[in-house]
Amino acid sequence: MSRSEERRKARENTGGSDMTKFYIILGVVAVVGVGAVAYSVGGAALGGAAMEPVEIEGLEDMVLLAEMAQGVTKGDPDAPITIVEFGDYACPGCGGFALSVKPQVELMLVETGQAKFVFYDFPLTGIHPTSFLASRSARCAQDQDKFWEYHDAVFRNQASWRLEQSPMAHFLNFAADVGLDVDTFEACVKSDRHAELVSANMRLGYELGVNGTPAIMVQGNNKPPFLVPDNSFAGIQAAIEQILGPAEAGGAN
Amino acid sequence: MSVEAHDMGGAAAAPPMNRMVVAVLAMGGFFVALYLFAHNLGLTGPIVCGVGDCATVQASQYAKIGPIPVSLIGLLGYVVLLLLSFVGLQPNHRGSKLIGGLLLFGSLGGSLFSAYLTYLEAFVIEAWCQYCVISAILITLIFLASIPEAMRLREGSS
Repeated sequence: MSRSEERRKARENTGGSDMTKFYIILGVVAVVGVGAVAYSVGGAALGGAAMEPVEIEGLEDMVLLAEMAQGVTKGDPDAPITIVEFGDYACPGCGGFALSVKPQVELMLVETGQAKFVFYDFPLTGIHPTSFLASRSARCAQDQDKFWEYHDAVFRNQASWRLEQSPMAHFLNFAADVGLDVDTFEACVKSDRHAELVSANMRLGYELGVNGTPAIMVQGNNKPPFLVPDNSFAGIQAAIEQILGPAEAGGAN
Repeated sequence: MSVEAHDMGGAAAAPPMNRMVVAVLAMGGFFVALYLFAHNLGLTGPIVCGVGDCATVQASQYAKIGPIPVSLIGLLGYVVLLLLSFVGLQPNHRGSKLIGGLLLFGSLGGSLFSAYLTYLEAFVIEAWCQYCVISAILITLIFLASIPEAMRLREGSS
C-alpha cells in the first residue's frame, strides 16, 4: 500500500471526510450568521437615535400625563369641536386617512372655524419598527415650525420608506423638501429628543382606549371625547352631529 | 458491546454525528442570540420582526435577569455548547464521557430555561418574539441531538 493510500485509509478510519463536510456546513452557517448580524448592525446607521418608547416614571398620574402628552393643533384653538387623531406614520390606514379624509376635514371643518384638528403620536412599534423614529422626526420638524408640512410629506411618501430598515435618508430628503435646516433636523432625529413626548402621547392613547390606528376621536360641547367608529369624513360628521345635535351640526355640511 | 463504547479517549473512533449536529445548531443559536444581544446594546436600531412582537418582549422586565440580558445568557450558553461539541469531535475526545455529560445536561438546562421563557411569552407578556421562538426550537433540537450521549454514558458505565 502506498503512503497516500495509507493516509486516505487513516482519514476514513477517523472520519476525515465526514469532518470535512462538517467543517464546510459549520463554515456556511458562520458566514451566513456573521453576514446577517453585520447587516442588521450596519444597516441601522442611525447613530444614537431613540427608536422605541422610553419609560417615564409617574405617568399613571393623569395630571402629569396630561402635562407631558402634547398633540399638535391645526385650526382655531377656540373652535367648539376638537377632532383628535392618534396616528402612526408607518400605518397604511393612517396614510390613507392623511391623504383622503384629513384634507376634507381641514377644508370643511377646520378652515371654517367649526373644529380644530389635533394629532397625537401613536406609533405601533411592535409592527412598525421605524414609526417611533418617524414620530420623533415630525416633532423635530415642529421645532422648526414646519410640523404639518413635514407630517404631510411623510404620509404622502409613506410607501417609499415604511418598510425600510433605516429610513433616515428619506426623512432628511423630506426635511429638505419642506425647507427645514437639515443639519439641525438630523442632529435632533439622531438623538433621543422628543422620545419622552412621543412615549407620553402613546400612554395617553392607551389610557383613552386606543388600540389601533388611525384612531379618531371627537370632543366638544363639554362632553368627553369618544372614538369615532367610522374614520371616513361622513363618519366624523356623524360623530359631530351626535355631539351637537342635528340642527347645529347641519351648519357643518 | 461496540468498539465505540469501549473507546473512551482513543483516536480511532469515527466522529459522533450527533455532536456535529449539536455544533451546527449551536452555531445558528449563537447568531440568533448575538442579534438579540446586539439589539440590547442598541446596535441594531429597531428590531426586525416579520411576525410577533419582539419590541414588547424585549422591553419587558423578563428580558433581563437583574442587570444581565437574557440574550447574553443564551449567547454564552450557545458558545459553551459549540465549544464542547467542537472539542468533542476531535479525535482524542470523541469518546469523552465528560463532554458527553456536559452536552446532555447543559442542553437539558438550556431547554428547560427556554421552556420557561416561552411560557412567559405565552401567558405573562402575551407577545411573541420569533427570534426567541427560533432559539427555543434550536436548544430543544440540541437537547434531542444530545440524547445519544446518555446512551454512551450508560454503555460506558455498564
